[in-house]
Amino acid sequence: MANSYLTSESKKLATWYFTVAATLFGAQLLFGLVAAIQYVIPGFLFEILDFSVARMLHINALVVWMVFAMFGAVYWLLPDETGIETVGIEVGKLLFWIFTAAVTVVVLVYLFIQVGPADATSIWFIHEGREYIEAPRWADIGITVVALGFVANLFLTGMKGKRSGIVTVLMADMIAFAGLYLTGMFYTDNISVDQFWWWWVIHLWVEATWEVYVGSIAAYGLITMIGAHRQVVEMWLWIEVTMLFGSGILGLGHHYFWIGTPEYWWEIGALFSALEPLPLVAMFIHVLYDWGKMQGEESAKGLDRSVITNKPAFTWFVLNAFGNFLGAGIWGFFHTLPQVNLYTHGTQFTSAHGHLAFFGAYATILIGMMYIAVQGKNGIKVLNNSTSTIFATSMIVGGVVGMTVALTVAGYSDVIISRAQMGATWAGYFDAQATTWLTQGMVWRLIMGVVTFVGFFFLAKDLLTIGKSNIHVR
Amino acid sequence: MNAMFEPFVDVVPSFFGTLAQGPLTLTIFLHTVIVLPMFWIYKQEKARLEQEGN
Amino acid sequence: MAKKSVWSDNRFWQRTAAWITGFASILLIWLTFDTNAQIAMGNDSDLKNGVTKRVPGPTVINYKITYEMDKKRQHEVPVIGEKEKFFGRDDYSEEEATELLHLGKLGSQSKNCMNCHTLLGNGAYYAPDLTKAWLDPAWGPTGSMQAMTGKSTKEEAMAEFLQNPSQYPTHARMMPNLGITAEEAKGLVAFLKHMSSIDTNGFPRNFGKIQGAVNGK
Repeated sequence: MANSYLTSESKKLATWYFTVAATLFGAQLLFGLVAAIQYVIPGFLFEILDFSVARMLHINALVVWMVFAMFGAVYWLLPDETGIETVGIEVGKLLFWIFTAAVTVVVLVYLFIQVGPADATSIWFIHEGREYIEAPRWADIGITVVALGFVANLFLTGMKGKRSGIVTVLMADMIAFAGLYLTGMFYTDNISVDQFWWWWVIHLWVEATWEVYVGSIAAYGLITMIGAHRQVVEMWLWIEVTMLFGSGILGLGHHYFWIGTPEYWWEIGALFSALEPLPLVAMFIHVLYDWGKMQGEESAKGLDRSVITNKPAFTWFVLNAFGNFLGAGIWGFFHTLPQVNLYTHGTQFTSAHGHLAFFGAYATILIGMMYIAVQGKNGIKVLNNSTSTIFATSMIVGGVVGMTVALTVAGYSDVIISRAQMGATWAGYFDAQATTWLTQGMVWRLIMGVVTFVGFFFLAKDLLTIGKSNIHVR
Repeated sequence: MNAMFEPFVDVVPSFFGTLAQGPLTLTIFLHTVIVLPMFWIYKQEKARLEQEGN
Repeated sequence: MAKKSVWSDNRFWQRTAAWITGFASILLIWLTFDTNAQIAMGNDSDLKNGVTKRVPGPTVINYKITYEMDKKRQHEVPVIGEKEKFFGRDDYSEEEATELLHLGKLGSQSKNCMNCHTLLGNGAYYAPDLTKAWLDPAWGPTGSMQAMTGKSTKEEAMAEFLQNPSQYPTHARMMPNLGITAEEAKGLVAFLKHMSSIDTNGFPRNFGKIQGAVNGK
């Protein structure tokens, strides 16, 4: 780490985490592209790298790069929030290498072994075949060890140093985050029980603990980037926690409509999850309100300058505020009520929501944190946008929104023809696949996927070089 | 009145299934028990702020 | 004295957050116990005595399963009927059926079904939903899929297809060969038959009831 302004070991470790995260983000997009091509040209890499394998790599790289970036962001903000060096940083570094090595092995096994026989060795050493948490059992145990080590570092540091509201929320949130993973680690012959617990991990991660995590990171970003007042920011954070957990925990019910679970989940899932967009609206208002307020205070002093000390990162934070609301909130609400979900469940509509929600809610803010790390590492007072920043941001955002719209249009065919009109049979499924809306939608999704992928290269180039540019205030 | 109270429809009777008497009864009940204690927290905090203000 | 509003007080929101998170978690845990009792797998004597379970026991493979409108619940539910031969037998013992289902469920995970298909509506959307695949007309006696494999029963047709999927051109998007053995295929078909007997609260609606009449084709 030559030419680094970083004196904190915790922040150095954060940059390592961000580097691996950005690399895996690239891998996610690459395998997503393979899967997108297969929708348009079905013979592409047939029986070499099949759709199932490409998609498994696509969604696993997604989950893992986000977890890496989330760990990195915590290691980054801990010294600032607690005022001390992170406790147990050497263990943290060791765990980083174990985690990275384990992920590499898992990816290579996915790529080159792909499938195994129907016995326990496949579950232990190849993959578990459960969407999003496919990691084989040995890796599950490894991930648990790494996550517990990370949580221990966070707790020990939080207890020793100054414990701000942000750190308090993160401590409670991250222990739930790590603990929930355990509920997805066992095997059962009962597919309903299997999916019941599987959703405990997936839903209680992305619609509860991860969202609260984003609230904490947004709070940190507002304080560091525009100098928002801590007391105001932390009050909003507690309101967000109230609303996110209040709606998100029992909102889990919207996954229990059709998997064999009792009918009473229709009601619980419907109304609690219908409220899930509310905190996302609150977060959006909060970010924009604080921005306007701080800028207004500056103008009142007669100073004609921006309050933002990191332009690219702040752009991504604002995109997060809006993208979270749009992707997770609006696109989620579209199909959360059981009377709608009966027909949209398991269609391209879900896929549209998945793309915009993961991107809007998580990818955006984590990319923002990477820019904050670039600023800190290069000792920059005000980090400005480069040309690459503009290209990266507009191409990635445009690409993902484009994919979402394309998949939503494709989803109409899936819902109306395959589900509502044809009663969801195989014949109905293939009839829907043959419609113009679906076939053209898939072509547009591929085009927009390529746009996103090109945008990624601008992002990678920007993250690597923007720190050395002379457009900044040092 | 008959239309307002529905016989139990789900496969297995249970506490939560019984509360699901028709559209929204269960979820409104759960929302209520979650929100009601907030009044108590509000009153306590109001009393505390008033005391601190003196 | 200037009175501060409770609504802009951090401690009030912190306590509210703690209360709501804690109580919602407790409710969820309570609901989890209630639900898990209801979705626990039934057994052979339940089936013999006509006890309805949301998730029937593995020996359900000895019976004919249909998907019928339930007037009281106002949606379709799986109905377990008279005995039906499955690979030539309708007398699988609890142990045999459990073993077959175990093999099939393990197979469904190790062959990564879920990253192309959906199971109970969850998974990927690259291939048809498997929730009620056992009941699909395409695999029935007059269905195109059964005819294509040249087999005389649904289970044999499915097993044949699973073993040699890329030999049967079903669609431009074909299923790849996943090295599924004859025994594994049998297990997978048992798993599919069992899954079709799970009470999914009427999902998918109108399954197999409507054919044809699609505009714009």
